[in-house]
Amino acid sequence: MLLTLDMNDPRPLHEQVAEAIRRAVAEGSYAQGDRLPPARDLAAALGINANTVLRALRDLRDEGVLEFRRGRGVSVLSRPNPRSVIEGKLRSLLAEAVQYGYRHDDVIELIRELS
Amino acid sequence: MGLRARFLSVAAGWSVLVAAVLVTAPLTLRDRLPDPIATHWGGPSGVPDGSMPFTASVLFQAGLWVLISGVPCVFALVNAGMLRNRANRMALGAVLGGGGPFFLGLQAVTLSANLDTPDWRQAGHLGWSALLVVVALLLGGWLGALAARPGPNDFPEPKATPPRRVPLGPGQRAVWVSSVRNGPLVALGGSFLAVGTGLAVLALLGGGGMLWIPATIMGLVGLVGVIFSSVRVQVTEEGVVLFYGPLHLPRKHIPITRVERAWSEELFPANVGGWGVRGLPGGATVMLRGGECLVIGYVSGGRFAVSIDDAENGAALLNTLVARASTASGAR
Repeated sequence: MLLTLDMNDPRPLHEQVAEAIRRAVAEGSYAQGDRLPPARDLAAALGINANTVLRALRDLRDEGVLEFRRGRGVSVLSRPNPRSVIEGKLRSLLAEAVQYGYRHDDVIELIRELS
Repeated sequence: MGLRARFLSVAAGWSVLVAAVLVTAPLTLRDRLPDPIATHWGGPSGVPDGSMPFTASVLFQAGLWVLISGVPCVFALVNAGMLRNRANRMALGAVLGGGGPFFLGLQAVTLSANLDTPDWRQAGHLGWSALLVVVALLLGGWLGALAARPGPNDFPEPKATPPRRVPLGPGQRAVWVSSVRNGPLVALGGSFLAVGTGLAVLALLGGGGMLWIPATIMGLVGLVGVIFSSVRVQVTEEGVVLFYGPLHLPRKHIPITRVERAWSEELFPANVGGWGVRGLPGGATVMLRGGECLVIGYVSGGRFAVSIDDAENGAALLNTLVARASTASGAR
């Protein structure tokens, strides 16, 4: 599972982790029913607390993306809906834009220009 | 002549030559040898304690040699690509080179001990000459490996397509985690461990000191089996780390500076010589299931492969991190 985090993203870490996992599942490297790596393995690789990863996994379960099963770990229940994937990307885009001094209206203007 | 034809003709010629000596030498000395002849020496006293009919012993030695020297030939016939890899070729050369002197030495020692004795029970002691057989084996193996050394050293080439990269901004960090586990192998190791533990408990309860030997062997085999039948792989900015077994110990770390490139490849136990941790450093493979493997090419040449899911993403991230590390060190 490939996870990407943005160091400049001001959002809480567990939201970022949830978004990274959502993106990894949406990209299709994990099919429905596939088991995710254990939370502690993900946490160790990312160098963050296992509870943060667990919180992200729980958020995704509440969203209907993941499924928790006793003794079988965490597996993919369904692909995340496209809207939540786009939303996640927009959030990180807005966060990055703020770093460069852009206001949200400027970003909206930019998108209009491009489309 | 191609590499395979050359290897096969040398191997077959050597095999026939040694077999011929193994048959003709005892036949020419037949009048001076007892029948049956002593073939086994035992105990600290080193007196003969086993015999075989003359013809059977000749056929047994020659037959065993032909069988053993045939193995490298069969390998070369079935998989010609194997010969193009230096480590594989040297291993086959060592079998042929070591086997010949070993069998010849064994026969020389046996015949000289039996020579001019009316009955096999009166055959001489082996003494230090037995050590010579071991020296012949090691020396022959070394020479055989050396003889097989010249030639190509190929590893299966990665696909020609340029390596896929992971889009990674300057303020971003990416990690890749995947794991694989061979269920039947874990179960097998676990059962060995359980039996070993059971025997150890019996030995503790006074089942006799002899029980410790199988208990230790079974326990060790089981432990090795359990540890090396599951693996977790992690790719971060520091490089690649492999964690073996349920305790994530031992671990193997490949620093990012040692990695030249990585790719994903379909490999099967037949390609790498079987299941488990295979091969010598520089060509090692952790093969826990056939199929998708993450292959890492070292800067120093050689490669390391591990059978793992989602290897495509792992290779892409590794290539990205290698490129990033090299530009960072170039800018310094």
